[in-house]
Amino acid sequence: MSKVAVLLCRCFGEVDGVIDLDALRKKTEEDVSVAFSCVVDSLCLEVDIEKPLSLIRESGAEKVVIGSCSSLGKGDAVVETLVREGIHRSRIGLVDLREGCAWIHRDDPQGATDKALNLIRMEMGALSYRHGSDDVTIRVCPEAMIVGAGPAGLSAACALSRLGFKVHLLERGSGPGGMLNLISHVYPSDEKSGDKIKKYSEIVEKNPLVSFYSKVKILSVKGFAGDFKVHISSSEGEKKLRVGAVILASGARVWLPYGLYRYGKLKHVITQMEMERQFLREPVPIKKAVFIQCVGARNKDRPYCATICCPSSLKNAARIKDENPDARVFILHRDIMTPGSVLEAYYRKALAKGVQFIRFEETNPPEILGDEHVEGVEVFDVINGRKRMLDCDLVVLSTPLVPNDDNAKLADMLGVERDRYGFFSEIYPLHPLETRMDGVFICGSARWPVSSDQAIMQGEGAAVKAAALLGKDAVSALSLSRVPGEKFGHASVNAEACTGCGNCAAVCPFEACRLQKMGGRSVSRVNKMRCKACGNCVSVCPNGAIQLPEHDYRAVGAMIKKAFAEETIS
Amino acid sequence: MKNSLPVLIIGGGVAGISAALDIADAGRAVFLVENSPNLGGQVAKLDKLYPTDHCAFCPLWTDIKRLKEHHLITVHTSTEVKELRSIEGRLHAMIVKNPPAIDASRCVFCGKCERECSQKAIRPAGEHVYPPVCRVDLDVCNHCAACVTICPTAAINFQRAVETIELNIDHVVWASGFKEVDLTPLKEFGFGTHPDIMTSLEFEEWTAEAEINKGDIITKLNRSVPRNIAFIQCAGARDERMLPYCSAVCCMHAFKQAKWIKRRNPAIHCVIFYTDLRTVGRDYYEYSREEIGGSPIRLIRGRPSLIYPLPGGDGIAVKFENTETQKRDIWKFDMVVLNGNLRSSLEWTDQEKLDSPALTEEGFVNPKSDGMSRFSCGFSMEPSDVAESAVQAASVAAGVLIAKREG
Repeated sequence: MSKVAVLLCRCFGEVDGVIDLDALRKKTEEDVSVAFSCVVDSLCLEVDIEKPLSLIRESGAEKVVIGSCSSLGKGDAVVETLVREGIHRSRIGLVDLREGCAWIHRDDPQGATDKALNLIRMEMGALSYRHGSDDVTIRVCPEAMIVGAGPAGLSAACALSRLGFKVHLLERGSGPGGMLNLISHVYPSDEKSGDKIKKYSEIVEKNPLVSFYSKVKILSVKGFAGDFKVHISSSEGEKKLRVGAVILASGARVWLPYGLYRYGKLKHVITQMEMERQFLREPVPIKKAVFIQCVGARNKDRPYCATICCPSSLKNAARIKDENPDARVFILHRDIMTPGSVLEAYYRKALAKGVQFIRFEETNPPEILGDEHVEGVEVFDVINGRKRMLDCDLVVLSTPLVPNDDNAKLADMLGVERDRYGFFSEIYPLHPLETRMDGVFICGSARWPVSSDQAIMQGEGAAVKAAALLGKDAVSALSLSRVPGEKFGHASVNAEACTGCGNCAAVCPFEACRLQKMGGRSVSRVNKMRCKACGNCVSVCPNGAIQLPEHDYRAVGAMIKKAFAEETIS
Repeated sequence: MKNSLPVLIIGGGVAGISAALDIADAGRAVFLVENSPNLGGQVAKLDKLYPTDHCAFCPLWTDIKRLKEHHLITVHTSTEVKELRSIEGRLHAMIVKNPPAIDASRCVFCGKCERECSQKAIRPAGEHVYPPVCRVDLDVCNHCAACVTICPTAAINFQRAVETIELNIDHVVWASGFKEVDLTPLKEFGFGTHPDIMTSLEFEEWTAEAEINKGDIITKLNRSVPRNIAFIQCAGARDERMLPYCSAVCCMHAFKQAKWIKRRNPAIHCVIFYTDLRTVGRDYYEYSREEIGGSPIRLIRGRPSLIYPLPGGDGIAVKFENTETQKRDIWKFDMVVLNGNLRSSLEWTDQEKLDSPALTEEGFVNPKSDGMSRFSCGFSMEPSDVAESAVQAASVAAGVLIAKREG
């Protein structure tokens, strides 16, 4: 049986001022599995850790229980010191004797001491069954696949190739540009969309590291961070790709407002996109136009603001005024969404050009007048409390972006999550371009509706995240953990006990568990590169065949048993 | 070789930390300089983050831990950039490190100094500071040195030497975040006339779960439970007299605070006075509409024309016009939270010896500029929240890495 060293930290009276550490030391030493137990002033100071370290070496103790402050105090640092000394993380147990024991039980020293003994015994019990698992290392394929060649995908391809990585740029349409092809100018720079596409696609075309595929369908994706195997069909036929990272930049689509404001029935009631198309062709001077915002957005069906509609209307309304300063242009809105410095200035610019703004309420939307063509718009202006008649011959409806129909399929293939609206979702706002699947990154409107400038920024960002992975020669399963040292194992299957019921495969969110034929029967196997050690599989395994090494069920059982031990110190 | 020089990142908030990690993960060395003693910036001071309503500590802690352990990142806290010059196309920086009295690497956070201090000058550095450490408020400290004597690890020293470090760098990233602007000049907000007229960051600290009131919502004046709280949006912002732009984070910040008030005490009425409710991110709109219980959060479109304390400590009067009903009114509130007065902190940099970055009229690093102003992220670049700052940081990292590779 491997011996345990128990290190107790006084923390200069913060622990031993309440807990009787000497009694605790004596009591723990009674345990046959304890090699030695010692009390020091402060484990986190270099001078004090030396003595216990040499005692560990002399006694041959293989496991260590530390009784000190919590891991968020200096406990973590003490663990790191021991790891540097060559003790594996799975063999170190940290017991919070300061914050979670001495400090909160200052008025009950006896109780605190008993609790401390229990906590230490629980940790010793856990340690006897806790172990790390073998790591696995794979070679990283230094190539990336980018899904979508709109502004986000193009900028990602551009950045990755300039960083020296080979890129497979996949586009479902026939050429690059995505939604930029459909619009005339971009806000807030008022640059021509065509110039924007050209700027990026030229770099991409010139760079031999980028392969462009058009008319692409993704047939299957297998593998994991560093080594995905992708099967696609494109205009050049079917092809198999091997890539280390995937960037999802598949964009979104514009929602069409059938059923609202007599769209599709009344001539000259058009969407923002149709207005863009007009501007792309020969622009016809417009004399009287009304823009209506939040058409099909911020309502029960689509309870979100699609970000781009207000600035787009500002752009086009200002454009109409530029071409014909005498034009009467109204924007009917529920809130003008121009957060920040650049967009707020863009709003002020439109105001200065004479674009007029009228606020309406969701419950009292504007009404379009006219039977055969648009004759005017009637709207209740909440700011002056009056109904207003706007004479106009063109109504432009601002509709939101909605997720692409194939998002569900893509998400399923790649193992990424979608939000409640159907857009791809990130792991956490602090890591907005990373998904729960290592090696898969999201950007642009596939993630959440954004302007082309924002999409470009996100594309570059996603490229950098991918580059961090692709720049490595090899990657190990444990190193994929976002918190260094926090994970030291993956789920592992005891093939003899496994009945092949498939519960684990059904619940694994990362598709790490799979059933495989072995000796004529089905047995679960864990792909270590995909396993995140979440433990879902463990909880559904009917016979304990699948375990997390750091939380072996026997370890938890041992902890529970010790937690309710009757024995006290006195 | 020029391209092997480190990148200097100014600012250790979310933007700076993210940029540092992204650049270092790609194999390039980074110097990160933060002028306060701890990392995490403004986010570390927040009790909760929208739209998840989680505390900010966990995600920040994992990133800060990774930052500190990264072999390519050198972090200098309590450090200011004193000189930054471009000499023959090379950047040269002089940074000055002014270490705090309590050494974070030796402090065991035992709290003895805090209990010993007769002036109450010593307090934990902040709720989300990792590792936890105590801090001396030198404005209150009378230098009795009782703490120096009592500290068991000799972590306290008031005579620590100021250290000057010279650096050759090849790029600089501005990520110095935001500061609050003093609202006293805009008399109508009544800032400074009553203890319970506070800015939203003050309010966040006052009501934080990990701060002195442990999440209780009480007034500063007499520590009683307020009956109602007013949130005034665009205070100082979208205002030609102070900040013409929209500070981007305040609408959601107000919703977050109002919702937390409701969660902790549904009996308190909350009113948000707004201009436009800007809820453009993922889940933001639904977050703003979610009902918590008790009376709903009332939304009134209008910017109050006058806020003033009532005589005898009898609350705060808010005079306003509801622009959606054209009705004028005066309501009495127990607390008023002012939201919007955020400005890039670059304005406050000592620019005498600094070849300063090219700033726009509104105080942000000019996106069209070149040279040392080429890279910025977070509030130095544009009013942005956590997610946007992290995106900008990653994009800046791409720019830096490409510039390094292409020379």
